[in-house]
Amino acid sequence: MNSIMNDYLFFGVLPYVSLAIFFLVTISRYRQQTFTYSSLSSQFLENKQHFWGSVPFHYGILIVLAGHLIGFLFPSWILSWNAAPVRLAFLEISGLAFGILTLVGLLVIVVRRWMNIKVRRVTTISDWLVYALLILQVSTGLAIAVHLGWGSSWFATSLAPWLWSLLHLSPEVSFIGPLPLLVKLHIINAFVLIGFFPFTRLVHVLVVPNPYLWRKTQVVRWNWDRERLRQS
Amino acid sequence: MHLTTTQALLALALLAGPLSAQEPPSEETIEFFSLNCKSCHTIGGGRLTGPDLKGLGERRDRDWVVRFLQDPASVLNGGGEYEQKLLADANGTYMPDLPGIDAARASKLYDLILAESALEKSQFAGVQVSDRPLTEADVERGRRLFLGAERFKNGAPACISCHTTAGLPGLGGGVLGPDLTAAYGRLEGRTALTAWLSAPPSATMQPVFAKRSLEGEEILALVAWLQHEAEGGDFESSPRSLPFVLAGIAAAGALLVLFDIFWRGRFRGVRRPLVHGGNEA
Repeated sequence: MNSIMNDYLFFGVLPYVSLAIFFLVTISRYRQQTFTYSSLSSQFLENKQHFWGSVPFHYGILIVLAGHLIGFLFPSWILSWNAAPVRLAFLEISGLAFGILTLVGLLVIVVRRWMNIKVRRVTTISDWLVYALLILQVSTGLAIAVHLGWGSSWFATSLAPWLWSLLHLSPEVSFIGPLPLLVKLHIINAFVLIGFFPFTRLVHVLVVPNPYLWRKTQVVRWNWDRERLRQS
Repeated sequence: MHLTTTQALLALALLAGPLSAQEPPSEETIEFFSLNCKSCHTIGGGRLTGPDLKGLGERRDRDWVVRFLQDPASVLNGGGEYEQKLLADANGTYMPDLPGIDAARASKLYDLILAESALEKSQFAGVQVSDRPLTEADVERGRRLFLGAERFKNGAPACISCHTTAGLPGLGGGVLGPDLTAAYGRLEGRTALTAWLSAPPSATMQPVFAKRSLEGEEILALVAWLQHEAEGGDFESSPRSLPFVLAGIAAAGALLVLFDIFWRGRFRGVRRPLVHGGNEA
């Protein structure tokens, strides 16, 4: 009985609390402290190690998150794709590879933050907390991929219906109750991260200048005399 | 004949009295039994994985059944001769915990079993299992259904999502659920396995299959495949996580090399290019 109560608390209440905090604080912070919406990048302080942290981490996590999103929005696509063992193996190995990239990148980022004194000076407690949560999230995800394969399929059958039930405001926690502790930990930590998100530098995710990817190139012309400016 | 109000009320109470004592089982209790019990038990249809429940009232009292349903393992472990025989008859398989069970629901289930036992033919006398011989075509269809190459008609997910067997190709099946190579023997053969698949009662499968039940011919094909796997005699599915992990690490390494090549002209600092540029000049 107790475990049913806990399941309801973690998988029927926590998601709503996290999402409420996410939306309310994200919006109010954008309205009141617009210029704090930044990744506060430390790239200018050191760029050699940073490449091996930032690039694998960002490409890794973007692909892995996109995979979770597709599993949630189009579970039947995933099941159709996985109907052939070769395709299933391809999807699972790709997911694992991008998960490993994410963890490698994350560890490089954390080590650099600690070892490089200039970078450490501009790191806050909230940053360290974000790193701790992210390391927990990515390592539980990898442990699930290895020990509880094939997650792409059972995400579509057991987790997608639960996520949709959350969206329909009638959480069916019976989908989650019997799942192993590792999976529950991954889900709970995901919602803790979502709730913590708007207080951290992770908000830069929402203000990525995406139009840069498809806008037309611009020719920049100086309309003043630079020679004269320099001499003045 | 004219009745006074008091007489009429008295007559109603007399009529209602015996009715309420034998209140018919609620739809909810019947549905609970269908979802959780009938895949292992019949009422008057003979033994499946668990015993036939007909006449349970003569064997056990309400108090015992209510305790048992709420915590089967501890009653079986702490019990006497009867409990040990139950375990022995089920080849040492424990009855799983029932989701959402409490004393009130257990008591209603006991009432349902008593009521159904009293009938000549209970609605839970067992699924009608076709006894036609299983063919090679059934085995092949079962394999395709297991892998997901053929989809279940009602939209149930393929078995490979969570289960594996020794005869699967490549990296094998999922490991969220148990390895099913020996499931045919574990569930005591065709009849019980068919009943089990008609309403999978495990806590993980139940919510997924409740609205997507398997059809009779699909179940037969799966039974044929699982029988085929069990007869293979190779009950040790080789662990396939090592090649999977190695492939993942190799792919991640290859991606890192690609990143390095793709961004070979990246900014690496100010001083070094200046010094190099100076040397060249």
